[in-house]
Amino acid sequence: MAYAYLFKYIIIGDTGVGKSCLLLQFTDKRFQPVHDLTIGVEFGARMITIDGKQIKLQIWDTAGQEAFRSITRSYYRGAAGALLVYDITRRDTFNHLTTWLEDARQHSNSNMVIMLIGNKSDLESRREVKKEEGEAFAREHGLVFMETSAKTAANVEEAFINTAKEIYEKIQEGVFDINNEANGIKIGPQHSTAGGASGAGGAGAGGAAGGGCC
Amino acid sequence: MHTSDSEDFESADEGHGSPEKKERKKRLSSSNYSDNALETAQQPQEPKSSSTSVKNVAKETDGWDDFDIDDNEPIAPPPSKANVPDKKLEVEQKQSNVKADQKSQDTGWDDFDDWGQDDATSTQKTEPPKPQAKPQPAQPDPNIKEVTDRLAAASTGGSGGWGWGWSVDSLLSTATAGISNITSQVSQGISTVLETGIGAPDPEELARSSLRANEAKAKAPAPINTAEDVTVQGGATEGPPGPGNAGDAAFPFGSLFSGVSKFVETTGTKVISGGLDTLETIGKKTMEVLQDGDPGLAKKRALLGLGAGDKPVLSQVLREAKAKADEDDRVREEKREAKEVHYENLFDDFEGLVHLEALEMLSKQVSMRIEERMRSVDADKRQDIKETLQQVAELCEMPEEEEDDHEAPSEGVSKADAFHERLQAATQDLGLKLQFQPLVKQYTDILAYISSTEDTAVRAIYKRAVSGLAHSTALSVQQYHKAAEMLLVKPRRSTADEADALTQMTVVLTKHISELATLFTEKLNALPSDNQEQVNTYITNIFLEAGNSSTYIQNAFQLALPILQIGAV
Repeated sequence: MAYAYLFKYIIIGDTGVGKSCLLLQFTDKRFQPVHDLTIGVEFGARMITIDGKQIKLQIWDTAGQEAFRSITRSYYRGAAGALLVYDITRRDTFNHLTTWLEDARQHSNSNMVIMLIGNKSDLESRREVKKEEGEAFAREHGLVFMETSAKTAANVEEAFINTAKEIYEKIQEGVFDINNEANGIKIGPQHSTAGGASGAGGAGAGGAAGGGCC
Repeated sequence: MHTSDSEDFESADEGHGSPEKKERKKRLSSSNYSDNALETAQQPQEPKSSSTSVKNVAKETDGWDDFDIDDNEPIAPPPSKANVPDKKLEVEQKQSNVKADQKSQDTGWDDFDDWGQDDATSTQKTEPPKPQAKPQPAQPDPNIKEVTDRLAAASTGGSGGWGWGWSVDSLLSTATAGISNITSQVSQGISTVLETGIGAPDPEELARSSLRANEAKAKAPAPINTAEDVTVQGGATEGPPGPGNAGDAAFPFGSLFSGVSKFVETTGTKVISGGLDTLETIGKKTMEVLQDGDPGLAKKRALLGLGAGDKPVLSQVLREAKAKADEDDRVREEKREAKEVHYENLFDDFEGLVHLEALEMLSKQVSMRIEERMRSVDADKRQDIKETLQQVAELCEMPEEEEDDHEAPSEGVSKADAFHERLQAATQDLGLKLQFQPLVKQYTDILAYISSTEDTAVRAIYKRAVSGLAHSTALSVQQYHKAAEMLLVKPRRSTADEADALTQMTVVLTKHISELATLFTEKLNALPSDNQEQVNTYITNIFLEAGNSSTYIQNAFQLALPILQIGAV
């Protein structure tokens, strides 16, 4: 598939907060209540459109288990966006946020856009972390905040897409050097969005006009 | 036949609806389409048209009449009732053209056509007729208006996107260099026009429609009308063209018509009238410039010793334009196909690249840790570590010549199961639970495909082969990535066993890849093919991509090496 940009995302957070479920909901639009423990990192990808441009989100869904922490840290590098996820029904997952955030800030580039996500918003009756607390944490650390439910899909799209929009804005502002792949942004293969006639260095003498006439 | 040649140039002069011509047109009109409707539609403007040309007619009756194209001929296929708006459109177009051409008509076409017959009389002396000779008819509808505007812009030489690409100045200077030069320029111009102007159908569509057109031609006489229309539009004096090919063969402009008839097929009136009008405009302009200061082209003709020579040149030009369009079409199709079976793209789609990338990140990080450890110890210990690292690396060298103990799968065990068993046997000392199901399933699918007789298209099999190889490779690379991750969190390491197991796994996987390649190439070879050369190319490519796959797999294995090594130091 041709795309204008590729953004690399990582999803981080304690084990069992629903990282893989969020990814599955975003890429496949389905929910799987029982999920194998993630080993190391798994991948997902989806195409979105921002400002008329095709953007491929390549999502690295990391293992939350403590054992894999040293491994997953090596994957932070070169991510343009991160979803930092906690479970609103488990206060400890919220309490660990500071550690996760430090880790992320230390091992990734400073421009990485971080979205804080309080997942499982469908389980209101078991809520242990108030929405206001999440908002306060996000404000304090300069993050974007959202409560989501991978089960009902509430806010899932928005979480991924808003992050992408933020990254895109940073590109427009020149904050990201898109030519440095360490920023987690790749420029897509140079396909014209229409027609599919690839440039190929203008080999077609006289200009093989695609569909751009009149 | 000769006369018909020369007449092809004259589609230019619309608007000279003199009575004689009308009669002539009736004689000429070979097809049975209903001019009458059109004529009535044009009736109101007829007098005005003639009035503009009255002066000319008086002087140059022979010139105009001979070449006159019947303005009233519909350019497009027989108009049906539904086509009425189209006709209106044509009328509009013609009017606007006529207006634009008024300036040049006297100097241009007449002289061109009857070379030197009346040079003296027809030199550019006629003033442009009163601009308002032809008032616009009732306000045209917006669509039509747009077209007319564009036509007008093109006719006046404006660069209105119609491909009037070169300036008159440059043309003029080129003109002295010789007509052949110019024709080559014109050829570029024409091809530009053909490709970019007039919203012509893209070559793919064109090719498809040409197929359709040919079929239609073969089937029924009715569709021939299209071709005939074009012929008449071109001003041919010959009788009704025989069933298509007679005219084509004998007619030097056959390529024009076959090309043009495709246009008609696809886009109908607008395109063809627009296209021909544009060509006319180009021709007129060219002649206008050429004759500047050289009435009747007498000097230039003398200089070049040109007789009727440049008419075939025009047909040549058009042929070239057509050939070029075909070529572009082919190239584009090839590119699209190439993208579809592009190994790297497929490998990426199957997540092979991203696993490789992740594995590489791990590998680098672990290498750094090993180096750190070496720096932190004294020289003696460092030497020990170096030796250990070397030993592990040696363990991971691929066996030179695998003793071909391809334990023939025992009875009752499917090939896929045997593959699974081999993988498990190879990796049992790894101490990890690797998931081979995706690889086995993919193999099962391929085996089913190979034994099925559904796909017999060489191309389809080739595509499946490349995608199958890319998929297998991606799944294999994933195994190394997962193995590396699990080894790094494994509590108790046994490096020698692990190294041996991964080496065995690499052997099994690379053999698997070459087996897949063999399966696909055998299937290709088994097919009866009328294009053996193409099949051979495909087979070569399949083995090439299989080599590519093996390289990826061995690279992944090498990336895993530091992860094995760190367990030993």
